[in-house]
Amino acid sequence: MSKLKRHRATTEQQTDIDMVPVMNMFLVLIPFLLMSVSFFHIKAINTSVPVLAQGKDAGHEQIHEKVTAIVEIEPAGFHVSAISDSVGPEELDKWDTRMAREDEAGYPLDQLVAELNKMKVRYPTSDTLIIIPDESIIYDTIIQAMDVARYYNNDSLFPNVVLSGKVG
Amino acid sequence: MRLGRKARNSKHFVPPRLQITSMMDMFTIILIFLLFSFSNKPETMSLQKDLKLPESTAQLDYNQNINLVLSQTSLELGGKVIGSVTNGGIIGLDPQNLKTSKLYQRLRSTRESANELPGDTATQPHILFLCDKRLPFKTINSVVKAAAMAGYPNFQFGVLKK
Repeated sequence: MSKLKRHRATTEQQTDIDMVPVMNMFLVLIPFLLMSVSFFHIKAINTSVPVLAQGKDAGHEQIHEKVTAIVEIEPAGFHVSAISDSVGPEELDKWDTRMAREDEAGYPLDQLVAELNKMKVRYPTSDTLIIIPDESIIYDTIIQAMDVARYYNNDSLFPNVVLSGKVG
Repeated sequence: MRLGRKARNSKHFVPPRLQITSMMDMFTIILIFLLFSFSNKPETMSLQKDLKLPESTAQLDYNQNINLVLSQTSLELGGKVIGSVTNGGIIGLDPQNLKTSKLYQRLRSTRESANELPGDTATQPHILFLCDKRLPFKTINSVVKAAAMAGYPNFQFGVLKK
């Protein structure tokens, strides 16, 4: 062994890093973070129910071809249609579509999103969707329908969702 | 005891050091996990065990407004039980006569007192509606209608992040 190496070996001591202050800091941080942690991430879907509208002066507004999509959730499947003040009834009738349930487990959500996407492409200013579920439809199905109707591939389809009961 | 003192007094005794490396590793992992799941909204919300919220792709954070919880057994408004659910119907909430219900009356009085506050008339309050995913629309509809009639037509449906 060279002289230098021997000298280094005798003078250098193995030192440990004092981890106690770090441990103390961790012990303070962990209870604080545990208190403010959320194990369930609750998010929200904005929706509304139909109300009597205040009379609007439509004369000054620029008229766009705009439709309101209607999705009726029935036990047998979806019934999609559209209503509008600016589009004729013959044109609107073309959007009247029924989508039967594939099986007992699920509704044809893919078909629904494709149809709504076509409607959005045809009338890009449209943003309102009315969901009319049957009384027997469970809440989970309504939320699934809302999910696919609001956004498609990160593009907004019909972000304003109105939930309505069937009249009559 | 005696043996311990004897060993400590001997020349070869080396005081044992606490091995904290593994504990440090564990704490680091916990800390990282907690930092990732840190919530900037640490509001306590008492949810019933049997309440199963639907899952959704929604990204919107809820506003802390009025909490309306509809589970398979009860209807709660602001943490207080105001009705019980049986056979898909809510006791004390007649769909034909919603204005007599406790839900309508409580929400109505809340709305009126909120309207009396200066400078708060323009705000459109939302109701945070937490509903069990297995309930039929028949049950939900009467609750939603009663709230809308009381002056709360805008809702935030609480869902679990997918």
